[in-house]
Amino acid sequence: MPAKIKPRSASLPGATAKTPAPRKAKFQADLAQSEDGMVRVLKAQLQLTSNADFLSDALALFRWAVTERKRGRRIFSESLSGERNILIFPRLERVAPDVTLPRIDIRWTGKELESLAMLVSEQPAEPTETLIRAMRQ
Amino acid sequence: MTVTIRRLEECDEVKSFDCGDEALNNYLRLHAWTNQQKISIGVTYVALDESAPRLVLGYFTLATSSVPRDKLPRKYVRGLPAYDLPLILLARLAVDKRFVNRGLGHALISEAFKITLHVADEVGCRCMITDAYPEKAGWYARYGFIPLEVTDETSPRKMFLDVRTLRRASAAESSA
Repeated sequence: MPAKIKPRSASLPGATAKTPAPRKAKFQADLAQSEDGMVRVLKAQLQLTSNADFLSDALALFRWAVTERKRGRRIFSESLSGERNILIFPRLERVAPDVTLPRIDIRWTGKELESLAMLVSEQPAEPTETLIRAMRQ
Repeated sequence: MTVTIRRLEECDEVKSFDCGDEALNNYLRLHAWTNQQKISIGVTYVALDESAPRLVLGYFTLATSSVPRDKLPRKYVRGLPAYDLPLILLARLAVDKRFVNRGLGHALISEAFKITLHVADEVGCRCMITDAYPEKAGWYARYGFIPLEVTDETSPRKMFLDVRTLRRASAAESSA
């Protein structure tokens, strides 16, 4: 009589086909003392109690910044008086598009080229009020 | 109505767009996406309301171009640098007629100016050119566009805006 071979899992008492729970990724970093202090201060300012929450918020902010620069947008802070400081972060600049616009050829008439050459040779016109308002938009 | 302006995306609703001009409607419906993503001859930016974030209310298309230095009249060339003249072409700008008189045209051209300044800062460009319908030339003139040639009353006319004027406008806005 041939021997019967049981499947290995079936031989284990109480074994069931459960889907394993998704593993949470661990994040560990060696921080300099100053950086560790910075994290503690920021956690206190943001009223965060755990490193996981801190990392989650930082990730959301970083993700937003990357998306904005990928679209070619600039990130800046603005004071109450309207003074702006643009964020230049070398790693972020790597994701920004170099040139966002493609190139096409234009047909020009002789008169158009003459006017164009004259206008670019002269002092530029003063901006109109409507143009200044547009830049404020 | 809270309007946002961003690059055209493939899933944007463009079929119902109607600005009253078939050429401008057809460009958005049939060509804008292909020209932007596949053959790269123009980037289209669309205005959308946050309550219907796929429905296009207005758009404009930008591209870069340049004028070879040897095409420019000799009497002016001496005052110009020894390079081709780089420029930004505002190829199209249109607002759906259901949403006119709500400041969308102003919002769209404002964004076009900001992109032009950004490109000028990043890679250099000397001016902005648009092909305006004669009946719209006055609207562009309010922003400082100057016609390069006035031929007849029916053909589009090329209009010019110096990037230095844009910079001054930006500086005036910042110092206000």
